[in-house]
Amino acid sequence: MSIVLRVPAYLGVALVYAYRYTLGVLFPGGCKYHPSCSQYAIDALREHGLVKGVILAGWRLLRCNPWSLGGVDYPHQQRLFK
Amino acid sequence: MIPLILGSPLTPLENLLRNVLEWFHGTIGLPWAWAIVAVTVCVRLLMVPLAVKQIHSMQAMQAHMPEMKAIQQRYKHDKNKRNEELMRFYKDNNVNPAAPCLPLLVQFPVFIALYLVLRQFSKHPPGGDLSWFGSLVPDITAHANAHWSGYLLLAIYVGSQLASTYFMSATMDKTQRTMMMILPVAFVPVLVNFPVGLVIYWVTTNLWTVGQGLVTRRLVPRKAPPPPKRSSRTPPKEAQAESADGAEPKAVEQPPATPAQPRRVKRKKKQARR
Repeated sequence: MSIVLRVPAYLGVALVYAYRYTLGVLFPGGCKYHPSCSQYAIDALREHGLVKGVILAGWRLLRCNPWSLGGVDYPHQQRLFK
Repeated sequence: MIPLILGSPLTPLENLLRNVLEWFHGTIGLPWAWAIVAVTVCVRLLMVPLAVKQIHSMQAMQAHMPEMKAIQQRYKHDKNKRNEELMRFYKDNNVNPAAPCLPLLVQFPVFIALYLVLRQFSKHPPGGDLSWFGSLVPDITAHANAHWSGYLLLAIYVGSQLASTYFMSATMDKTQRTMMMILPVAFVPVLVNFPVGLVIYWVTTNLWTVGQGLVTRRLVPRKAPPPPKRSSRTPPKEAQAESADGAEPKAVEQPPATPAQPRRVKRKKKQARR
């Protein structure tokens, strides 16, 4: 992928980092998965670009609910996009 | 900046929160500051079932402490691998003491809506008592640096934030935890420009977290006796171990884990029982 096409995804990554050091600090919490949801979002954006990355991260957040068991889940293991 | 971007989609939420606040103020007759406290308590009350679920999970986890300690010991120099193995272990054993991310997100819209409502209030004062504790906090829509009491509240906020982080970050590792403890202090220069009402929300929600953490501590003993569920499961395994000490049937019974580790665990259990 050319650098120009990667820019939107990296803007997304920057937003996740911004979240981590602002709201993430003010509202501390955990995560049921490894890697954590924010790390998953960063990896997913890097690996799959902005659109797919956002969808994958959103789906992950929905799965990180009180009824889930958590576990190990990397963006490269995703099965939403083939 | 951020409110401008989030302003339009959050307007219904802002209106909803305003209505709730007005209900507490108008119908119940609370001053605005106490209405904010009441709303915060309501939000946290709605989240109590989630906390109960987490407490149950923590209680269940006590029975797996030795295995978890072993994993932590084995990967103590590799943080990434350690987390991965711990999460895998939680999943395999159907316990996960970590807090999920989704409920956290529920708090953000309430928080942002409150920010928007307070901003609106400072432009068009709604009438009624905007002070808190008489003249101690003269105006909850003013910035925290407008009156000395704002600094007092911020100090209480920092204390409550540190205490709540202490309870919330129990499942995190040390470096992460230290960072989470230091950063709130670094935020104070930013927070002085926030309306006092928001700081009230924060202090309330943090104190709630602390209270909940203390209750959780009470309910989750350090060394729990083995739960009855296990004993019902143990006899067949024991019988199996006695009848044939072949590793194959055991390995078949527990597909996810490697055969070596669970066997060691079982031996420990037997020792504990005798």
